[in-house]
Amino acid sequence: MKTGTDGPPPIEVRGLRKVFRQATTGQSVVAIDRLDLTIAPREVVAIVGQTGCGKSTFFDLMIGLTAPTEGTLAIGDKSPHAHFDFFRGRIATVFQQDRLLPWRSALDNARLPLELIGLPDGEQRERALAWLNRLGLGQFTNAFPHELSGGMRQRVAIARAFAVEPDIMLADEAFGHLDEVTAAELRETFLALARECGSTAILITHQLEEAIGVGDRIVVFGKSAKLLADIHVARWPKAKYALLREAIQSTLQSNKPDPRLHDPAAPRRKKANR
Amino acid sequence: MSMEHRESVPSLSFPRQTLVSLLVFALAWEALSHLAPYLGIPPFAIPSIVKIAKSFADITPLDIAVTLARVIGALIASFVFGVALAVAMYRSETLENYLHPMIRILMAVPVVSWILFAVLWFPGVEFRIGFVLVVVCGPVFLVDSLDAMRGVPRELRHMMRSFRPTTWQFFGKLMLPAIVPSLFTSWKVNISLAIRVVTIAELVGAVTGIGHQLSVAQELFSVADVFAWTLVLVALLFLLEALVARVEARMLRWRA
Repeated sequence: MKTGTDGPPPIEVRGLRKVFRQATTGQSVVAIDRLDLTIAPREVVAIVGQTGCGKSTFFDLMIGLTAPTEGTLAIGDKSPHAHFDFFRGRIATVFQQDRLLPWRSALDNARLPLELIGLPDGEQRERALAWLNRLGLGQFTNAFPHELSGGMRQRVAIARAFAVEPDIMLADEAFGHLDEVTAAELRETFLALARECGSTAILITHQLEEAIGVGDRIVVFGKSAKLLADIHVARWPKAKYALLREAIQSTLQSNKPDPRLHDPAAPRRKKANR
Repeated sequence: MSMEHRESVPSLSFPRQTLVSLLVFALAWEALSHLAPYLGIPPFAIPSIVKIAKSFADITPLDIAVTLARVIGALIASFVFGVALAVAMYRSETLENYLHPMIRILMAVPVVSWILFAVLWFPGVEFRIGFVLVVVCGPVFLVDSLDAMRGVPRELRHMMRSFRPTTWQFFGKLMLPAIVPSLFTSWKVNISLAIRVVTIAELVGAVTGIGHQLSVAQELFSVADVFAWTLVLVALLFLLEALVARVEARMLRWRA
């Protein structure tokens, strides 16, 4: 667990651009166009945007699976792509589907990232078991994924991600496919564990309720990941959450910032008299 | 027993219908062996069940062991060669582009041609047999493994990469375990192929093995011996297949 000064490094995104060339047409597609974003250590940031806005591309860039076309994405002073091996065990992910390996038991799935960082066998087992127990799966450690419910499988996926106690925790629509009750429960668990681990958490979601309920900040992406709004949720009184949701909805639909998103805690400028 | 259970734990016992059909065939054969002289068929062509049973008594376990060793040795070599080359081809598109046409040509060459090549190229009998088996079975493992690796879901590959494995870890912990079901299918196909190919390969130049014994039986016009050795081959094939099916059921118990 990261405490005191031993916390995760900040994430700095400057002029980030990602262009793909379509294999079939040969045309260039700008997935992310000059994105600037700073995420402080231990912040929980929800990224919302419509389908195809570049959220998943940003996710892949955060993981380091692809390189930026232009600009920089740095975690501390290192790039997750250029310093790929450095981030082994420091970045973990929870995906939309559990993506468990079907031939591994719950325990063996949870210990997978610990095997990759080369922990001794005993420690792998101990840590994986501890995380499964914390997620309420102590009775199912030897079960194969097909023997578990969707919610239980996603719990194993969360245990797998937290097992390495990562600096950065990424979640891509991690609760979107679950029923409302299970999703809410897992969302809370995820948030509590991220806070307890001292991880910086970035959640990609299309569910505004989830974004408002979980994030310290909500980052709203427009087309090509254009930063339409950067909302500090704590500055919004709970009584105004409905207004906030409406304003984000309107921002997403119009692809331009809704004036109602003006930070309620920020001082408003009075209109100058002519 | 449910269908699911029957599929997961292969049985070595024969169902009643199989025993009945085998019995009917044996009775028909026996009848035909007695009627042969009246039908204008030479008596040696259709030996009686008793004569075939006597031939079984002359079966030499050493020849069975030698053939079995050749088959298993060659299958293991083919497996290692096929899977290793499939991994290399999966990793390098250039290598795949160069090797793919060659693999297709290898697979199109008839077994008899390989045997002739082996006789012309290599002096050692064991090496000839091993070469023929590996060149026939290896490409099957290779093509099946490569196809199976390409079929590993993108989501699983993406998940694995997100945890930053080394190349060895990526293949050791994801790709190879993921293709195990396909590898079992390849083993079953190749066991059958190898049993048939080894017999032909042993006909040419070998002084031990079931193929050699078949060749001797043919020279002696002993259909009973040919029959007995053929049945041994068939039994060997069933035994190996049952063994693989058992290992498969154990290793793939994670499947729903």
